[in-house]
Parts: sequence; structure tokens; C-alpha cells
Amino acid sequence: MANTIPLAQPLSVQKAVQTSTATMSIPWYIWCCMFSVVSSVIGIEWDIAWHKSIGRDSFWTPAHMLIYLSGVLAGIACGYLILSTTFQKTSPLRDASISMWGFRGPLGAFICAWGGVAMIASAPFDNWWHSSYGLDVKILSPPHVLLALGMTGIRFGTLVMAAAEMNRAHGLYRERLERVLFFAAVFVMAMTVGIFQEDTNRVFMHGSRFYMIMMFSAPVVIAMVAWVSDNRWAATIMTAMSTAVHLAFVWILPLVPAEPKLGPVYQHVTHLVPPDFPLLLIVPAVVFDLVRQHTGLWSRWAQAATLGASFFVSFLAVQWPFANFLMSPASRNWVFATTNYPYAIPPTSPWVRNVFVATEHSSAQFWVYIAIALGAAIVMTRIGMAWGEWMRRIRR
Amino acid sequence: MRRAFRWPQLAAAVFLLVAAEALSAHVGSPDVYYEGDAGPYHLFVTVRMPQVIPGVAEINVRAQSGDVHTIQIVPMRLTGPGSNLPPTPDRVAASKDDPQFFASSVWLMESGALQVRITADGTKGTGELSVPVASFAQRTLPMPKSLGGGLFLLMLLLVVGAISIAAAGAREASLEPGQTPGPANLRRSRIAMAVAVVLVLGLLYVGKTWWAIEDSGYQQRINFYKPPRAEMTLENGNRLVIKARGDDPRWSQRINMGRVIPDHNHLMHLFLIALPGMERMWHLHPERLEEGAFAEDLPAMPAGQYQVFADVVDERGFPWTLVGTIELPQVNDGKPLAGDDSSWSGATLATTTGSDTFQLPDGTRIVWERASAPLKSNVAMDFKFIVEDKDGNPVRDLEPYMGMACHAEFVRSDFTVFAHVHPSGSVPMASLELAQAGLMTAAAAMPAGMVMNGTTPSGPLPAVVGFPYGFPQPGDYRIFLQIKRAGQVETGVFDAQVE
Repeated sequence: MANTIPLAQPLSVQKAVQTSTATMSIPWYIWCCMFSVVSSVIGIEWDIAWHKSIGRDSFWTPAHMLIYLSGVLAGIACGYLILSTTFQKTSPLRDASISMWGFRGPLGAFICAWGGVAMIASAPFDNWWHSSYGLDVKILSPPHVLLALGMTGIRFGTLVMAAAEMNRAHGLYRERLERVLFFAAVFVMAMTVGIFQEDTNRVFMHGSRFYMIMMFSAPVVIAMVAWVSDNRWAATIMTAMSTAVHLAFVWILPLVPAEPKLGPVYQHVTHLVPPDFPLLLIVPAVVFDLVRQHTGLWSRWAQAATLGASFFVSFLAVQWPFANFLMSPASRNWVFATTNYPYAIPPTSPWVRNVFVATEHSSAQFWVYIAIALGAAIVMTRIGMAWGEWMRRIRR
Repeated sequence: MRRAFRWPQLAAAVFLLVAAEALSAHVGSPDVYYEGDAGPYHLFVTVRMPQVIPGVAEINVRAQSGDVHTIQIVPMRLTGPGSNLPPTPDRVAASKDDPQFFASSVWLMESGALQVRITADGTKGTGELSVPVASFAQRTLPMPKSLGGGLFLLMLLLVVGAISIAAAGAREASLEPGQTPGPANLRRSRIAMAVAVVLVLGLLYVGKTWWAIEDSGYQQRINFYKPPRAEMTLENGNRLVIKARGDDPRWSQRINMGRVIPDHNHLMHLFLIALPGMERMWHLHPERLEEGAFAEDLPAMPAGQYQVFADVVDERGFPWTLVGTIELPQVNDGKPLAGDDSSWSGATLATTTGSDTFQLPDGTRIVWERASAPLKSNVAMDFKFIVEDKDGNPVRDLEPYMGMACHAEFVRSDFTVFAHVHPSGSVPMASLELAQAGLMTAAAAMPAGMVMNGTTPSGPLPAVVGFPYGFPQPGDYRIFLQIKRAGQVETGVFDAQVE
């Protein structure tokens, strides 16, 4: 493993570590940030399902409230944390904080606060966007990406805060913080992968662009988690948690009755339309952990090449044939939820007709994208490793 | 991809002038005014179309009688998929101040031919009608300066904040608690700051480029629905050939002029109006040629420059008005007017001397019954005209003109507004027939003033004709009112100043 915690530590460090270890409970600000992250995750999934099923919304929908609660809660909690650390000379975090613009606080708190401001800034921007260009019924628009950046900031900040706390802790407390870190990482990956969900529909799974997008978005988080944790099954655990959360949405959302309140309506909808069945990232994550256990002494780039390539190949090997299954009548049940079409999807759509869409114009382009996907898997794995190593070094 | 039509070889054609210009959309009159029966209830409907799509349309419904309790409103596609699965309708209660007035709003989620289906519930049971609406984005809205300034400050805060966080994190985040940063940490901080600056600036550049692409795509959608240009040539001295060309290059690929549908018996309604004063007007009905072109053998007409409006309805029920101008020579050996073709000539537009009474050559008068108050733009009005004989008695010889009690064309003095209106309102009859076909009680949902094709009215039409409409913007307008008496199409002309 890349880095180790120095054995010889200054007295103040030992005191801080002892304090953290003796506390044995997750600090309130991490709980607040975790609650903020969960709030935004539920809010976003609910909101997307709302737009797929009901269509019409207002500022005051429960889903929107959860999203904005996320920004407000993270902003207030981290703002208070920063102010109390700055102005209370006896604050226990004072020595374990960074300084910026005269303020002091954990690095993660500053990142969370930044995310809260970005989320708040996205609201008037999005409102104007709707009035100028119409309601954008899609995920990828500039104001939505600003909102996503804000949410990513909060999730990343929570991850950093948990990592800093974990790196100062030992024993059972460290294990508890590691679980928190896994949980935070789940939602970081939900951002990096989820932002592209319009391009990762099952109709694209027999095109190379889909795999290229996935290799740019998934391995970086999986490698990060594997490198920041001491757990030899870190990637598997985090991806399993991610899959479980995703499945919960797939299976719970359809239990809520809903009907379209906007037209034109192309699909008969009677309940909230859930997200698609999760991608089979769990398989490459297991492969990733297995390979990692045999490449510990290799150079960084050799590890990245091996892990990235094995991640890509194993994902391709399971997702490609699984896409055939998702297109088949056998998948049209509540478990795989492949008949949950948003009300606005025309019956002529490839999605509804269960046909694959060619995202490449030629076989040459297909293989170029495959090559880019392989390269991306390796490079993003290497970036994730560096990110994880940096996370292991964080103390503040 | 095959082009919708090609330029044919026009042997011996005289190419005079093609000077078309795109005016504001459809043409400058996007709101919909409709009058018709929802079962036992007579309703007046106004649909204020949104500026952007998806956007919110304001719907106002006025019931003629006081026995309507609630109104349900639902938007749908006019034809094809989506026209048979309505979303949950909005239930609208009567206004507290005016029990015959119902106001609501609906989201129009896509461009194209849509319909607003209205169901009325009252003491006489339930009735429904459907109003076709042409849904399209008209413009983008500029960002207010105050909002732009606020967002710029927030962007500045986020940019400087991101760079500062990167620098502070690189400098201190990996230090043990209590440890002070050394030269290596400071160097790492500067590198992180430089990298952050590059990344943030790159992100801003990507965002700006993306925004420009989104804006360009939206502008393309706006251009797609702008009135197509009427490109015209004159063959053999009097044969006018018209082809449509959209502002957006994809228009000709997607809109098949070879498959337009009849709108009260004619595929195209062509209006030639003398420039600049509207002192002459022809209402003609060209025939369709191969590959979507249209041709009309012009009647005798004097030389001059003419504004051209040509109404068609595409196969999905979306109305298009082709717009252009043409310089015509003297047409001597023109085809005599026949059938539903008509013409008018008279005084130039003059709102200051405009009268509410128009006298026909035989002494018959058409009287516009209007309030003395000034005309206001964007106000739904119920236009009423009485046709009287020379003795002041209502005439008893009005006949349906193309299935209608009357036709009216509203033209603004600068030709930025053109609306072809019928007793049922501003909706094209072809679109209306498509909308009616989807109703459960289609037979009961009769538009106002419509005489069913192929049927003979049991007696003469009433001497009072009218229609709902609202001037879309202030200015000077000329209203051409067309009726048919004793087999002869008559045109009355009224000039109006609108505030």
C-alpha cells in the first residue's frame, strides 16, 4: 500500500488522536453532512422519478425540498463548524484544520460550504434558464450541472471530512469511520456515473460510447476507495452498497401511485417511474479487488494498467450480454423494471421498442471508442489511485 | 435524404422577383381564440401561448350560460402517438367574481400540433371540445442585469473559492494537527493553485461553449417554426408558382408540402395584398404541383408589388403561413375568378377615416357592431357584423362561403401580423377537424358558424356574422370580411387603430 501513518507523532497529534479514539462516536458535523448527502440523493431520485411520472412540479415539491435541504443543511453545519473553529480558541478541531481567507476549519467543511453556495447559485440560474429556453426536461443542462457540481462538492467534502477523521483515528472508531467513508463514496460515484444516466440507457449498451462513458466515470471512484481503505474488499463493499441503494430506488419508488399531469402522454403511468436497473459494476469491482490483491508490489502505472484493463474487460463481458437480457421479455417484471417508461417516451422510441441504438457510425469508430475506453479505464484508475493516496494523507 | 422538392426547369418563364422575408411567427398572432359548443354549453376559449417551449399557456374559458360548474383542461398531441392518452386534467372552478369565467394554465411540453381538450360539467351534464394549438418557441428572454450581476458575483465567489480551497488543501490538509506548513507545502500549494486556475478556467470555457451550443440549438428550433418563405416565379405571364422554404435547412426535410391536408376544401389559401396600402386583395386557391409546389393562374390584375400570405396545414395538423413579396407585371389575360376565389379593390388603409360601415356595390351594407371604447391589443373580442340591405333590413340571402358563415383576414399595416379567422376563431378548420375526430362526443362539439361540408342548410344563414379574435399588438389594421350572397363572394373592408 502506498502510504503509512508515521509512527512518531508530535505530542499534540497524539493528544488529538487519543481524543478522537476515545470519543468513539461519529462527530455531529459528519452526521450532518451525511444527512445532507442522503437528503440530496433521495431528493434527486425522487425528483427524476417525479418528472418521469407526473411531469408538472413547482418549487415546493417534496423532492425539491429535500434537495434544497441538502444545500442548506451542509451550508449551515459547515458554516457553523468553520466559524466555531475560527473564533473558539478552545475548539478541538483548531489544530486539525486548514486556514483560508482568515477562517479555519476542516478541508471537507470548506468543500461542503462551496458545494452549498454552488447549489444555491444554481437555483436562480435554473429559473432563468426555464424562462428563457423553456423547462429543460433533461439532466444535462448548464444550470443542472452547476447544481450537480454543488452536490458533488458536498459529497466530496463529506468524504474528505470522513477521511481526515478516519486517518486520525484507530481501532473500532476507525472502522466505523471507514464505513462512513464507504457510504460517502457510494454517493460520489452516484454523481460521477449518475450524471450520465441519459447516455447509459440499455439501448446504448451495445455501442462503445456507453463503455467509454462508464470508464471515464466509474473506475476513478472505485480505485480511490480501494486506495484510501485498508480493507482488501473495499471496492466490492462500496460497489455492493451502491448497488443496494440503487436497487432500493428501483423497487421502492414504483410503490408510490402517480399519474401524468403534463401532456403529451405516450405511456400509461400509474406509479412513480424508478431508475433503470443498476449497471453490473459489482462484477468488475470484485475483479478489481481480486487483481489488486496480487499486484500490491507492482509500480503504480503497472497496477493501474492491470486494474483498469481488468475492470474494463470484466464490465464489458458482463454488461454486454446482460443488455440482451434487459431487452428480452424475461426482464419485464418488478425485479428488473424494464417496462417502467416515463410518460413522455413515444412508443416509437428505441427504448420502448427494445432495440439497441448504434452510437457509432462505423466499425472503425466503434473500435476507436473501445480503445479510448480502455485508455480511460487505465488513466482514471491511476487518477483514482492518486486520489486515494492523497485521501490517506489527509489529516485535517 | 431526398429534398422535398426540386427547382423545376421553368422554360419560357419570366423570373420577376423573389423578395421574401420572414416575419414573426404565424404570422405575428400566436394566441388562439376559439368559440364552439362543448355538448350543451357554448364556450369562448382563449389560449395565450407561451414564449418558450416547454412553457405555460394561459387558458381562459367563458361560458355563454351560467350553468357550467367546472371546467377540466388537458393538453395533448393533435394526432398520432400521444393523442389518445391524456394526462390528468386540471379541474378549474368558476371565478368568484364572474361565475361564467374560468381561468387556468397548462404546460405545453413540446413544439408542434397540439390540442387543448376542454370538458365542461354543469347542470346539463358533461360536454367536451378540443382546441388545436400550434405550439412553438417564439424567442429567448435576455437575462436581467440584476440577475446577471448577482450570478456573476456568485460565479466569482465559486471560482476564487475553488482555487483557494485547492491551495489551502494542498498546503495544510496532510499536515499532522498542530504542524505548521513548510516550504515544500507552500510549493505544493502554489502548484495546486496553478492547476486549479487552469481547471477552473477550462471548466468555465467548456461551460460557456456548451451554453452557446444550447442557445444555438434553441435558436434553430425557433427558426424552424418561423413562417416559411414563399418563393415565387411567374410563368407564361400569369401562372404563379409557389414553393415553401423554411429558415431552418431541416424544414424542407421534415415538412412535406406534398402531403398538406385540405383546409375547408382547399389545400392552400393564397392572399395577394397590394403594397403598401392594401388597396387591392385577392383570395385564391392554388392547385398542388408535383413535389409540393403550388400554382395559380392569376386573374387580371394591375402591375405592382404584392405581399403574399399562403395558408396551408401539414399532415399533423400544424398550420403554416408562407410569407413573401412579389413584383408583378400587368396581368391582362388572366383567368376569370371562379368558385371560391375572390378579390377586392378600394381605398388604401386609413384608420383615421375608417368607418364601422362598409357599403357593397349594390347598396348592401356591412356594419361592424363595436363598442365606442378604443380597441386594445391582447384582449379577446367577440367581433360582430350585421349585413343589411339598402333599406337597413337584415339580409336573408347569406350563403356558406367554403362551409363558413364568413371569413376574415386581419392584416397589420406593416404586414407583421396576418390572421385568417373564421366564426370558430383563429384555429384552422383542418386542424379543428382533426381535433374533433378524437373526441368521444365529436358530433356534439360543433365549432361556431361552421356548416358541415356536403350538407345544405335548411334556410338562409343569419345576417349577423362574427368570430372571436384579439389583436396581438398595437398598430393599424385592415380587416377583410368575406361573405357569400346569392353565389357571389363579397368583401367588406374595415380599418382599425389598436392601442
